[in-house]
Order: sequence, then structure tokens, then C-alpha cells
Amino acid sequence: MADPHPGEMILYDDILPPLLDNSYRMSITTDVSIAGAPQPLNSRDAFFNVEGPRFSLSPTEVGGVFPPRNGHGAFSESIPHIAILRRTLPWERELDPQNLIGTPSLIPNVPPPQGQVPWMALLLFEEGEYTLLQNQPLEQVVPADVFQRLGSPANIRCDAIEASLDLVNAILPSKEELQLLAHVRHVNKDDRELSIEGSKGFFAVVMGSRLPNENAKCRACLVSLEERSDLVSKDPPANELVFGGFFPGEFVAEDAQAAHAQSAAAHPAVVAATPAVAAASARDVAIARSRPGVIGIGTRFFFNTRLVLLYSWQFQTIGTGSFRDLMQGVDVGLIGKVANPGHPPLTDTCHLPISVDDRAGVPEKVLYRGPLVPFQLTRDTLGPYHSADQARRVTPETGAEDISYACAFETGRLLASADPRLAQELMRWRREAYKQSSRGDSVSQVQSALNMTQQVDLHLPVIPILAQTAVARIASGAGPIADPTGIDKIKDVIGLNPIAVQKAYNLPSVSAAVNMLGGDAGALGAVVTTQPQTSRPATTIDAVAADSASLAHLTAARDRILNNTAAKLGGKP
Amino acid sequence: MRTAWISSSDALRNRMIKPFQVPDTEPEAEMPPYMESFLAHLRLLVGVPFENMIPDPRMLSDESIRFFYLDRSWTDRLVDGAIAVGKIGTREQAHHQAHSAPVNQQLDFTERGVRNLQRGKSFTDVKKEISGQQPPAGIITGFLLRSGAVAGWPHMDVRAYSSDIPEPLEPGSDTAKSQQLTTLRLERLSPAILLALFDGIPQLVFLEEPHHGVQFGVHAGRTAFEIDLRDATGHQIRVNPADPNSNPVTQSVTMRAGQRRVIAVASLRASLVNQRNTHTTMPEQKGSSAFAIEVLNPPWRQRFEGTVDHAEKPGTSGGFVSIISIANRVADVATKNAFETAITTQTITGRRG
Repeated sequence: MADPHPGEMILYDDILPPLLDNSYRMSITTDVSIAGAPQPLNSRDAFFNVEGPRFSLSPTEVGGVFPPRNGHGAFSESIPHIAILRRTLPWERELDPQNLIGTPSLIPNVPPPQGQVPWMALLLFEEGEYTLLQNQPLEQVVPADVFQRLGSPANIRCDAIEASLDLVNAILPSKEELQLLAHVRHVNKDDRELSIEGSKGFFAVVMGSRLPNENAKCRACLVSLEERSDLVSKDPPANELVFGGFFPGEFVAEDAQAAHAQSAAAHPAVVAATPAVAAASARDVAIARSRPGVIGIGTRFFFNTRLVLLYSWQFQTIGTGSFRDLMQGVDVGLIGKVANPGHPPLTDTCHLPISVDDRAGVPEKVLYRGPLVPFQLTRDTLGPYHSADQARRVTPETGAEDISYACAFETGRLLASADPRLAQELMRWRREAYKQSSRGDSVSQVQSALNMTQQVDLHLPVIPILAQTAVARIASGAGPIADPTGIDKIKDVIGLNPIAVQKAYNLPSVSAAVNMLGGDAGALGAVVTTQPQTSRPATTIDAVAADSASLAHLTAARDRILNNTAAKLGGKP
Repeated sequence: MRTAWISSSDALRNRMIKPFQVPDTEPEAEMPPYMESFLAHLRLLVGVPFENMIPDPRMLSDESIRFFYLDRSWTDRLVDGAIAVGKIGTREQAHHQAHSAPVNQQLDFTERGVRNLQRGKSFTDVKKEISGQQPPAGIITGFLLRSGAVAGWPHMDVRAYSSDIPEPLEPGSDTAKSQQLTTLRLERLSPAILLALFDGIPQLVFLEEPHHGVQFGVHAGRTAFEIDLRDATGHQIRVNPADPNSNPVTQSVTMRAGQRRVIAVASLRASLVNQRNTHTTMPEQKGSSAFAIEVLNPPWRQRFEGTVDHAEKPGTSGGFVSIISIANRVADVATKNAFETAITTQTITGRRG
């Protein structure tokens, strides 16, 4: 899937993991038969779990929330949502694998939405509508049958939110609505700050369906609805009738506030504040309420229910605080612009007078300016500076000292000293240079001592080159081979000197004289006999010219050689 | 006894009369990667205490943005100071003096790769990328933003352009890309303070609500909450499609009974399905992504143009951004299929945990 272009985003209905979170058994059987007779082979089972967040969500998995956490603003027309970094998370579990909720009834002419139902929902509660419970045993959070369907995981503690059953039924999305409220976004992340890295730009987004009230303190809660068929309804409850007025205040009839009762034994999570009166299950109530005309008795809610809380955050809907409002309200200016001129007393060059104690301990006023300036400055080319004092300046106008660059120097020095690895690397940088330089010096000294004209590449092994040069030099400087017995004098005896013998006897060659003196020809070299010439019949130039086969052969050989040479030289034949 | 080729006093003298020690072309003169990357980070003020940048908190009051030029002399002094560590004698001093110019030249290049280094790319890759790129060390500018928007809307999009491109500005278009200044650094210094550095002098900077945090919302109409109908790319559908200034087509939002401000999501979707029969540019209401587009409040884009604040002038200072597309349902199908084919020849049994 191609990444979106800058400024674009792509929405997906869902992104499903290859395997849902669960325990799996891999069963391997092999069928082998020899000559039609099956051979029994043991089958083998292997088990593995696919795991993911289930009863809590780490804050590091959350990519962003809206309205902002602890934000204040006009959020009363915003639908809360949460962006989760793990794009498959909302679909990693099944909401209702045994289909206890049932299939939502179809609205005429409206095809059912495609995609999977997520197992989580984002609910919005106002202050006072809920109780936050921390670190509860799971058994006390979900009803017993749900706990059993969850696989009775032992020793699980989780956070929970407790609210009245009536409220939860009123605000909890139905099965189809849950599906519509979760999607995946793929955004371009090139022009973002850093912490988004590693997410590949995918976010799973879960929306709420309730709008915050004005001037209210709200808590948005991401809850797990896995196996909560007691709460999630097949179809949504009845809608508000829209009259001429805007949410008429006089329309106070408590709509179908039917009695919600559940035997406390079967549902320990439904905490009875007063004894149960009616016997309809929460689901039945919800279904009943979806049918118009069923008017309940205006009973007040007395029953609470608990939900596994994965993640939650608070915000307040007061004042203005949308991104747009904030950005439009931002005070724009170049650095050095202060709300109340003179406070702080910046100079027109953006220097700030500050008090310091000089090295004698005398307090003095100096000027300081940070690296951020309101105008373009020429880069100082006097560097490098070797100490902070070297970078201190006195401003000609006021005579006050400017310590900006001295301060920069010290800041750099302190930052570098705080990093032990950097100190090591600095030393290494210098040491490498010194080492190579001293090596170069030694080699050049040796070279001059050896009278070497050859340039030596310091990155090659120098020793063999020097050794070879030294040997050559020693060898060339040595005198003739010594003759301690003086036996070479004997060659001056006239009768033994082949040259003299050749001259005296007028022999044709020196070798003849050597032979005469009894010299061993073998010692002078092997006797080479001449190759006997191949006898050929006498032929004439006409006969050679008439031998066209041989001539063609020769021409071909010549052309081949010419072609090869031409090809080697890169030219055309 | 064999006499040494060179005496230690001669060696030291050679170190001193050859401050470069080795020519720049030698590999030994190159900075070790860690040192080079550290100094390049310093060049972009990474790690510099906030008080050094803004010596008085009143210079960056709440809800304000301050644009600036980066004082390159200041950052050069930072680097000088860092190299001063371990400079214990005249030999080191001579070495620094001689190598300062090549070091600075090298850092002028390397500082362009700091953002990629911060994003976790390897130093060798970054070096390869920046070598032979545009001329080094231009003017660096930037801004500091202190606002609740930084804390509330993490990962907002920030872009700077060398010319004032009017809306509609699609950041992905070629014109926009050719004018975009390289972002050298974009980082939150504290939960509410954002620092950005750009390579060059921008004529237009804009900050855009983060796309993954694009909100959903309704607005109060005459009789009920309403949403504006949107086409498949998120643009509002107008009553008169030819006139971009005509009113958007709206759809009233059905609420659940019970005065709890709960949107009847399923009913709303049913109305949207019917609306599509009239407004065919709407995306087909197949699933949650098409639904999400309709309830979207597209991201707000705040433009800062020139040095003048246009914030009070509606129409010039901001605008809605809307490029969204719906993908068909994907579910890493290929992976899933591959896995299934691999094991379907066997028997796989899901067992409730």
C-alpha cells in the first residue's frame, strides 16, 4: 500500500490481524500408506497463543486523543475519539464469538455496513455519572457468565468504570454502531515532530457517539466489550423526536426508563442498590426501548454496572480551545517582541541585560543574547576560539560587556563534557592524527637516511618497502666478492688463459681454445643440435602462386589477426 | 646501541610546526562519526538548555509564536566549546586551530542530516544522502511556539515555503514541493513548546492539525445538530456545486432518546445512505471509513505569512484541508491468505482461551 502524499490521509474500514488473539492448537497429522496399507503415524499437537492488550491499554499504545487530555475548550460539538498506534487492535478480538447478541435488524433500503465489529467502545461520562475503580479483580468487574466466556483468566486485575446500568444502556452503541465508530487512518508522517516514528503512519481510531455537554467536566473511557452480550444490544434504542424547537426542554418524559433488573447472583457486576423489582434482562430492556410506543414506568436507576476500562482521559468543555481558536489567538511576532515593552528590557539588538558576578566577585551588568535573533547576522569568521574569554566582547555604545558568545562556548563545553563518549571520540580524533603524523615523520626520516626517492603511501604496509630498499641499498654498496685463497690469480697464467691461447694459436674462437684447454663444454651449457630441415621438393614461385587453397588459408589468418588487433584497439575492422 | 630515528623533542617540534598533523584528505583527519553527529546536533541547538535560547520567560509568553533567525556565530561557538573538551595543551590547540575550518565545512553539510539522524536513520545512510546535495550552510530560520495547541494536538504538521502560495495549497503538489523549505528540526521541547528550524527564509509557514487527530463533530443548526455532507475527498458538498461559496448541504443528526446527547449512529448512517441518492459525489456508505468522512471536522490549517500577522483577517489566515480517500477494506489479506494456505492442509482448531 502506497504511503499517502504529504497532506493526505487514507481511511480504512478496518485492518484485520491474520489471526485473532486467542489460544490456538496446531494439529499435525500425516497420512502415509504403503501399497494401499495405511501406516499409523502419531499425530502431534502444538499450542500457541496470540496475545495482545486485553484488560488494559498501555499509554504508549495511544497515539492521540481528542478532545485533548486535560484540555479546556469548546468541545461541546466535538465527538471524542482516540487514536491507537496498533492499527489492528480494535479487531484483534471478537466481540461476541457465540453470537449471543444476534444480527442487527435491517433498516429498509440500507445495506448493512461492511467490516468487522470492534471489541472496544469509547464512552463519555460526565463528572458524577461514574465511579472509577482501580486494580479490581476481573471477577468483580464482569458478570460471572461473561467471566466464564472470557475463559476464566485467573489473577487478572484491571481498572474498571462503574456507572448506572440505565446510563450505560443509553449511551452504549449497538452492535452495528460499534462497527461504524471504528476505522483506520493512514497518514503521511514526513512533516511531523519525532515521537511519531515507528508507527508507519497507521492509526486505529475509535470514536464515541455522545457529545459532551457545555460547561461539563467529562471523562472519555475506552472500554472493553468483549463478551458483554449483556450490555451490547442488537439494535439501537429509540431516537429523540425532533420537534420544531431545538432539543425542547419541555420534552421531559422519561423515555422507556423501564425497570432494569437482573438477578444479582447471575450478574454480580450489577450492584443492586435496592432489591430488584422486575426481571427483564438488560438486553430485553434495550430491545423493548427500541420499539416506539413502549413507555416504561419512570423508575429511577438504581443499578450499576461495571466495564473493563482500557484507557481514559478527562477534559472540560469551557471557553474556547479548539485548535483553530488557539492558533487564531496566538500572538505572532519575531523574537524580541514582548507583550509589555520594557519588560524584560531588551535592547534593539535583542540583547538582554543580566546581572552576573565577575571573576573578582564584583556584581556587574552584562548583555546576553541567545542563538535566536530577529535579524540576519553575518557569521563570525575569526574562529576558532579556544576559550570563553576569547569570545567576550565589549559593546562600543554602552561599554557593557557582551557575554553571548562566551556563554555559547561554555554551554558547548559543558554539553560535551557531560557526554563521556564524546570526550573519548575527541581524544580518538586527535590521537589518530598525531599517530599518523608521527608515523609520517619517522618514515620520512628513514627515507632521507636511505636516500629513497620513492614516495611511500602511509596506508600501505611500510616495513616491507623499507626493508626491500634497505637490502637493495646494502647490496649495491658492497664491494667484489672476496677471494681469501687468491686462487683467481691462476687465470693470469698465460697457458691457462683461453683468450691468450686463442690469440697465440690463431684459433677461430675462444670456445675452441677452451675446448683445447680441456674445458668441459657441458659446463658451459648444453650442446644444442640444429633441427634437421624438412626436405621439400624444389618449387617455383608460380607453383606457390597457383596454390589457391594455401593462399586463402593465409589470407584468412592475416584477416583474423588484423581484426583481432583492430578490436583490441577499440576501432572497427 | 641503536640510535632512534627521531628524538622525542624533535617529534614534539614536528607536531607543533605541522599543526594540521595530517592533511584533510587523509582518512585520519576525518572526525569519528559520533563526534561529527554530536557536533551537527549542537549546530541545531539539540540539547541546549531552554534558558540559553529564551533567557527571559516573558520573551515567549503563553500562547505566542516567535519567529527567528539562527545566529550561526552562536552555534559555531557551541561547537568550539565542545571541541575544547580535553584540549589540555598547545599541541591540541594547534590541532584545533588548523582543523577548525575543515571541521566547520563538514558540519555545514552534516547538520542537514540531523533530522534523519533523530528519526533513527544510521549515520552512514544519512551521510550518503547528504553528500553531493545542495550547497551547504544557508540561512537557518525557525520558530518557537508556546501554546495549548502543542500539548493538545501532538504531531501537528508543520511546513514552510519559500514563497507565499495562496490557498488551496495541496502540500503534495509539485508546485508546493518545489517551494517547500527543508525542515531541519521539529521537536517538542516541553509538552507545550514546539521548536522548528528551516533551511532558508520562509515566506509562508503553516501549522496543520494532525491528521490522525482530525476530529469529528457536529454543529448546531437551526433545529438540531447538523453535519455537512462531504465528498469522497472530504470537501464539503455545496448547494450549488458550481459555486464554492454557496452553503454546504447539511444533514440533521438524529439523537437517541433520553436527553443524553447521544448520536443515533445507525439512523444517521441510514440518512446518509439516502442522501447519496441525491448527492452522488458522496462516498458510498460501505463501512466505517465512509461514515467517518461524513462526520469529519477537517483539520484546520493555520497560515503564517510574511512577518505580518493576518490572524484577524478571515479567509487569509487559515483554511480547511481536505484530502482524504477511502481505501477498500484491506486486512493484510495477503499475509492472512499466505498463513492460511500454509496451515490449511493441516487442521487448525481455535480453542477459546
